[in-house]
Amino acid sequence: MKATSKLYRTEQRYAYLFIAAPVLGFLIFAMVPLIYSMYGAFTNWNGLGQMEFIGFENFINLFKDEYFYKSMYNTFFMMLGIPIGIVLALLLALALNRGIFGTNTFRVLYYIPVISSIAAVSILWQWAYNGDYGLVNQFLDLIGIEGPNWLQNTDTVKPALILMAVWKGLGYTMLLYLAALQSVPKTFYEAAKLDGANAFQAFWHITLPMVKPVTFFIIVTNIIGGAQIFTEINVMTPTGGPEYSSASVVFYIWQKAFGNFQLGYASAMALVLGLFIFIITLIQFKMNEKSSFELD
Amino acid sequence: MFKSSKKIGVIMLLAIMVIGAILSGCSGSDKASSDGKVELTFMFRGNPQELEAYKATVKRYEEANKDVKVTMVQTAPDQYDTKLKSAIAGRKIPDVFFYNPAQVKAYVNSGVLLDITEQVEGSTDVKIDDIWEAGVNKYRFDGETLGQGAIYGLPKDLGPFALGYNKTMFEEAGIPLPDKDKPYTWDQFIDVAKQLTKDNDGDGKMDQYGTGFNVNWALQPFVWSNGADWINEEGTKVTIDDPKFIEALQFFVDQQNKYQITPSIGDAQTLDTYQRWLKGQLAFFPVGPWDMAAFKEQLKFEYDLLPWPAGSTGESSAWVGSLGIGVGATTKHAKEAAELAMYLSADQEGQQALVDAQVQLPNSVEVADTWAADTSIKPDNKQEFLDIINDYGRGFPAEKTYTAEWYDEFFKNIQPVLDGKTSVEDYVKEAQPKMQKLLDAAIEQDKQASKK
Repeated sequence: MKATSKLYRTEQRYAYLFIAAPVLGFLIFAMVPLIYSMYGAFTNWNGLGQMEFIGFENFINLFKDEYFYKSMYNTFFMMLGIPIGIVLALLLALALNRGIFGTNTFRVLYYIPVISSIAAVSILWQWAYNGDYGLVNQFLDLIGIEGPNWLQNTDTVKPALILMAVWKGLGYTMLLYLAALQSVPKTFYEAAKLDGANAFQAFWHITLPMVKPVTFFIIVTNIIGGAQIFTEINVMTPTGGPEYSSASVVFYIWQKAFGNFQLGYASAMALVLGLFIFIITLIQFKMNEKSSFELD
Repeated sequence: MFKSSKKIGVIMLLAIMVIGAILSGCSGSDKASSDGKVELTFMFRGNPQELEAYKATVKRYEEANKDVKVTMVQTAPDQYDTKLKSAIAGRKIPDVFFYNPAQVKAYVNSGVLLDITEQVEGSTDVKIDDIWEAGVNKYRFDGETLGQGAIYGLPKDLGPFALGYNKTMFEEAGIPLPDKDKPYTWDQFIDVAKQLTKDNDGDGKMDQYGTGFNVNWALQPFVWSNGADWINEEGTKVTIDDPKFIEALQFFVDQQNKYQITPSIGDAQTLDTYQRWLKGQLAFFPVGPWDMAAFKEQLKFEYDLLPWPAGSTGESSAWVGSLGIGVGATTKHAKEAAELAMYLSADQEGQQALVDAQVQLPNSVEVADTWAADTSIKPDNKQEFLDIINDYGRGFPAEKTYTAEWYDEFFKNIQPVLDGKTSVEDYVKEAQPKMQKLLDAAIEQDKQASKK
C-alpha cells in the first residue's frame, strides 16, 4: 500500500490515539508521581503539607540508618528464592514437556497460585506456618520433627517467606519455560543423537542455550519484583517480623511514609532502591550481551 | 548500533517503570453534588460487624436528613491508615473520617482537621457533657498541649482493655473467684496462675495455663501499675531505664521463663494465645469491648472481668484506646459534616444500634451505666470497663508525641528478652539511646511542622 493513501493516513491517526492511551496513562500515573517524589526525596515532606528543600540530608541520614541496611539485607536475602525457583521450574517444565499423563492437570495445579490474590495466599500461608496448628508443622510432626514457630523466629522467617514466594511464582516461570522448550527445533536433538550425544549433553548444549533468553527474562523480572516484595510481608509479619528480620526495603519505606509522616525520607529510600535495581539490571544486560549468540 | 540504542531505550523504560511502580501512590476521589443535595464523604474502617453497624447508622442519618447524601468509603483496618494518608497527601481529605488520637497534633498543625468546638457546644441534639469527658479530651488541642482547648473530633468509641478470667476454670479447680474491687498483687496473681497451669490428662504436656500475654498489648498495665512509664511527663525523655520499669518488664518476662504460667517460648504470638483463650486453655486473658460479640458466639465457658494485678503502687492500671471521628478542614459543608460526626459519636439511637451489635461501649455516660447494669449482656462485671475509663485508664505513651516510631522501637527487638536470651537490664540499656534518638527526631519534626 502506498504511504500516502487516505486510508493509511486515517489509520495512522487512529493508531496514534491508541498509542496515546497508555502513554498518557504512564505520564500521569507514573511519570508525574515519579518526578514529584524525586523532588520529595530532597525535602522534609511529611505528607500533610510541609515540604521544605533540605538538600541531601535525607540521604546522609539514610546511610547511617541501621534499619535501612537491615531491610536491604533482608530483601536481598529473600532473593535467594529466585535461583531455587528457576531450577525447580525448569525441572518441572522438562517433566511436563515429555507429555506425561495428566500434563494439563499439572499445569493448572501449578498455575493456580499465580492467579490467586497475593493477600489471600499470604493469609493462607500465615496459617500454614502457625507454630501450633499450622499445616507445615502438623506435616513435620508426622515424620517426627517438631517444627519451629516459623514466622516468629529470626532464623526461620526469611526461609519461610522464600518458600512461599517460590511456590507462588513456580507456575508462571514453568509456563514460560514450557513455551520455550516447545520452540526448540526437534532437528537439533536428532542431529545431536546422530552424533552420539547423551541426554545430559543434549540438555547442556542444546536445551539450556536455547532457553537462555527466557532465563534472562525471568531473572531480570524476578529481581525487579523481588526488590519490591511487600504485600506478603505486610500481611504475614505486620510488624516486620521478630527483630525486624523480615522487613523488606519497601516495607520500611511504607512504614516511614505512612506510619511516621516521613514521606521525604521514604522518597529518598525509594530513589536509592530504584537506582539499585537500575544498576543491577544494567549489569545483567551487559553480561547477557557478552555471552549471547545469534542463530543463523 | 540500532540494536544497542533500542536496548538502552528498553532499559530506560524498565528503570522508569520500576521506580514509578515503587513511588506512585493513589488518591481519593471527590464527588461533586449533582441533585442539589449536600454530599459528604465518610471514610471509616472496622471489622465486618462494625462496618455493618456503621452503615446502618449512616443510613438512618440520611433518612433523618433528606438533604444530605453520604458517600461511604470503607476499608479493612490494616489498609486504613495508608488510604487516609494518601488522601491527605493528595489534599483530598474526606469530609468526615476516623483517625487515631495519636495524630491530633500532626493533623491540627498541618491543617487537616477542622475545629468543631462551636458546632459541638452549640448543638441541641448532642450534649457534650453526656459523652465521656476522658474521650472528648483525647481530641482537644490548644496548639500547645493536648487534652485542652478546641475540639478537633469526637470519640467513635473508647476501648478500655480489661483483664478477663475463665470463670469455669476457676470453679472446676475450686479456686475462689477474683475480687472485682480488690486487685491481685503480683505475687497473688502468679500464685493463682500457677495453680491453674495444669496437665489434666496426665500425658506430661500442659493442657491449661495461667495466661499468655502479648507484650505489645499487655505490658503497659504492669509497667504503669509499678509507677513507671515509657516516657516522662513532658514527653521529652525515654524512661525505660527506670528501675521500676525494669522490675515490671522482668516480672512480665518471668511469667514465661521463671514461673512458667504461660505456653512455652515462641508461642507468644497473639494468634496462638487468643486461640488458646477461645478454646478455654487460659485462665486470664485481656478483653476489650470489641471482643464481646465474638466471645458471646464462640466461648464455651463463662468469663468475667477483674482489675489488672497491681504492682508496687498498689493500684491497677490499663490502657484506653480510642478512635476519633474528625471533620476534614477542606470540607465545603462544615455544618453538615460536624453534624454527621456528632450523630455517629453521640446520637442516642445510633449509639444503641452500635451497642446492640456488641462492637463497642456506649459513648453516652448515661447509656453506659444502664448497659453496665444489664445482666443479660455478658460479662457481668462490665463496670470494670467503665472504671478503667473513669478511674485508672490511660492513653498509649506515644499518643502525646508526634510519631510513634520511638515507641515501636521498644517492641521491635524485644523477642530475645522474652525468650530469656537477653537480660532485661542489657536490653533497656541498649534500647534507651536508640529510642531517645527517634523521640528527639519526632520532637524536631513536630517543631518544623508547627513552625508555619
